[in-house]
Amino acid sequence: MRRVLAPLIAAVITPLIAAGALLATGSAASADSYVPVSGAGSSWSSNAVDQWRRNVEQYGMRINYANTGSSDGRNQFKAGTVDFAITEIPYGLKDGGVVDTPPSRGYVYMPIVAGGTAFMYNLTVGGRKVTNLRLSGDVITGIFTGTITSWDDPAIAADNPSLTLPQRKIVPVVRSDGSGSTAQLTTWMAQRHQKAWDAYCQAAGRSTPCGVTSNYPTIPGKGFVAQPNSQGVSGYVAQRGNEGTITYVEYSYALKTGYPVAKVLNDAGYYVEPTASNVAVGLLGATINTDKGSAQYLTQNLTGVYGNTDKRAYPLSSYSYIVVPTSTQNGFTDAKGHTLGAFANYFLCEGQQQAEVLGYSPLPINLVQAGLDQVSKIPGAQDQDVDIKKCNNPTFSADGSNTLAKNAPQPSECDHKGDTQCDRPTGGAAGSPANGGGNGPGTTTSGGTPTKSGSKPGSTSAPTTGTTTKGGGKPGSSAPGADGSTGTTADDGGSTDPTGTGTGVGTGTTVGTVAAPSTGGGPVVCDDETGTCSNVVAMPVETEETGGSGIGPWAVVAACLLAVALVVAPPLVARAAGGSARAGQAGRTRRAGRAGPSAARRAQR
Amino acid sequence: MSATSASTDVPRRLGTRRSWSDRAFRGTLVAGGAAVLAIMGLVGVFLLIRAWSALHRAGWSFFTTAAWEPDSGNFGIAAILVGTILIATVAVSVAVPLALGVALYISEYAPVRLRQPLVSVVDLMAAIPSVVFGLWGFFFLQGHVTGLARWLSTTFGWFPPFSVPGSDPHDPLATATVYTSSTFIAGLVVAMMIAPVVASIMREVFMQAPVGEREGALALGSTRWGVIRRVVLPYGKGGIIGGTMLGLGRALGETIAVYMIISPVFAVQWHVLANGGSSVSSLIALRYGESTPFGTSALMAAGLALFLMTLVVNFAASSVVARSRSGASS
Repeated sequence: MRRVLAPLIAAVITPLIAAGALLATGSAASADSYVPVSGAGSSWSSNAVDQWRRNVEQYGMRINYANTGSSDGRNQFKAGTVDFAITEIPYGLKDGGVVDTPPSRGYVYMPIVAGGTAFMYNLTVGGRKVTNLRLSGDVITGIFTGTITSWDDPAIAADNPSLTLPQRKIVPVVRSDGSGSTAQLTTWMAQRHQKAWDAYCQAAGRSTPCGVTSNYPTIPGKGFVAQPNSQGVSGYVAQRGNEGTITYVEYSYALKTGYPVAKVLNDAGYYVEPTASNVAVGLLGATINTDKGSAQYLTQNLTGVYGNTDKRAYPLSSYSYIVVPTSTQNGFTDAKGHTLGAFANYFLCEGQQQAEVLGYSPLPINLVQAGLDQVSKIPGAQDQDVDIKKCNNPTFSADGSNTLAKNAPQPSECDHKGDTQCDRPTGGAAGSPANGGGNGPGTTTSGGTPTKSGSKPGSTSAPTTGTTTKGGGKPGSSAPGADGSTGTTADDGGSTDPTGTGTGVGTGTTVGTVAAPSTGGGPVVCDDETGTCSNVVAMPVETEETGGSGIGPWAVVAACLLAVALVVAPPLVARAAGGSARAGQAGRTRRAGRAGPSAARRAQR
Repeated sequence: MSATSASTDVPRRLGTRRSWSDRAFRGTLVAGGAAVLAIMGLVGVFLLIRAWSALHRAGWSFFTTAAWEPDSGNFGIAAILVGTILIATVAVSVAVPLALGVALYISEYAPVRLRQPLVSVVDLMAAIPSVVFGLWGFFFLQGHVTGLARWLSTTFGWFPPFSVPGSDPHDPLATATVYTSSTFIAGLVVAMMIAPVVASIMREVFMQAPVGEREGALALGSTRWGVIRRVVLPYGKGGIIGGTMLGLGRALGETIAVYMIISPVFAVQWHVLANGGSSVSSLIALRYGESTPFGTSALMAAGLALFLMTLVVNFAASSVVARSRSGASS
């Protein structure tokens, strides 16, 4: 059933892509000839995979991918119905008392991208989005095991000294399908908060110790909501009415839907966001299986990530893997291997550049090299060579260290566990998603969160940004709408009181006063008209009330009317024309003749 | 003597010598009819064989257990079957009045010029893929219909299926999520999907209501509504029931739209407005890809139960339709 549905969904959503592919195939006829390959699996990493798929279409490669969940991907690969699978966890793990047996066909793992399992939430206070929530591991476990049920719980208040959260029910949104995201979260809970996790599991009717599972156990009546797929959970949380919801999903989904993510407390005592650099730092603690003889070669052990004591480390960072065949069976051919190999070479090398913008984190050089070695094991892919120096991977350096992690900015002191709390919005709430160019006035971006400390003018102006640009705001690629709204530049993130002397909201030409140019490293943008340069570390603020332009709904209505008219008009016209032609003969067509005088006139001529 | 005359006095054998083409035609028809039965039987047999190991292990508890953890042996269809029926009930109770109105309007009230376009629009609606309905339901309808669900539950909460546990209408901070992903919303979306089918069957039957009886009623001074009540509806009763049953059959088996909207819970959920529900087909869609062989067997068993239930519904429908007057000459 699922296998039928997945292509169906793909067929509905990607007609344009298909059309593009056709054009591309036509134009690239002289290039390598590729055959289509298909895969299934993780929706955690599917935002990256989908981007890469689109990118390689220009080379005539046709990669079909159905993001039906890691468990489904592994099973389909095992059954031989797909050519590759993408999954967060390897085969062979015991889940619910059953071992996920490895496939009989030859296969190897290869990391594709890194990322952070983020906690995306939808919460408002006084009609304004909360965008700077911080959570410790205990609280997250409490939320997802049903012991912390209200947002005004003292444990949450302890994490968020400057927030007064409402007595609103917490609605944890979990995955209803077998999922790698669930596996990532439960691996972490099983290792770090075993007691709470086992107690919950037992209440849900699972045997303990529960350990890692791909199917999140739910207890009826607990108020948990289960949705299929990453799009399902993030889409559910992102529905405006669903306040009080929180889910676990890859960071890119939060960027895509424009919702904030919780900063998670790491072992160094800092609350960090799963940005590309923080994930890269966190994954410095990962242990990779380097035993080339092992079936689990290159798979990850994340214990060191969870306990990473770097101030910048995001604890729930992990790699996502592709499972590729090493033998030609189950319909896998050398020609398919050639395509898959070329695709793998693309995403291991060039594709990594885009990881950060999409909400993932690029692979470090050792994994890229190991991955490229694995590619040569794919039958038919041996003849390709990649110059690793030309990859422009942001993690690469001359000495082999991880540049991205090395240059990762230190967290502000306001992110330290204590009495202060940064105001800066997180996740998709921090700015426009990378693909949402021209996110100027009129878009509902959330602003500063109401704080206890009060109603200083600054709290309604743009909150300060820390030391990095977030939300995929690629340096130098700021949309014109953002240029004009570079209002408040406050001191470097360390303060809870943004010195909001300027209000750079609105028309795209207004330029706020630059109070104290930040040294924080945000991109400097100059306004064409006024020549004022400012450091773009703040975002325009629009409250919900003022947001939203009127054109959208009307366009939809017009489109609907057009569609109806297209259906209704032709028969009506035909009838009118036919009726007037017969007007002289039959009396009953008088009405028709009256309805279409122009048609009647035409008929007379 | 008499015995021999009696033995020769047999009735004449009435045989028809069919021509070759006649026989070929009959053969084709018989083969077609038999193939339908055979395919259906084979589907049933296939499901039974694949479901056997699960059914054997679960025994009768398969029908009384609400949980769905096949790998630990704790599974049954009590919850999902109830959920399936509830979703179908909501769908039918929304779709049938709607479809009845549409069918009556098209067949009785609509200007002749509008009739054909309206028929096309209704048929077009039936052609919308269910995944589109699912997307619409999840991204659009759900956010907009929670207000209705809240009103229903606060106003009619005294009626047990409409009460929503965990909701407090006096709490301004109460979250709307308790009204989302519910049997009710899934049922609404399914209703949109079955309404065109039901409407087009009803309309077809209504339009066949004998002209003589219509005109007779009008001649006796009946109003248009009187004609509908006395002639069209009694005549079309079989069509109404048949269309409803067909819609019900489709609602029971609807998969992807339910899959996208519902938040699966494996406990008998009577509260149709409350978050959580389940249906057999959405469960199969959800778990099929990632199940162990035994889990797949359990899913097959659930599918078998749904198959048998749909079969019963359709047989009931056809027997009702067969006994009605629809299609008889007046």
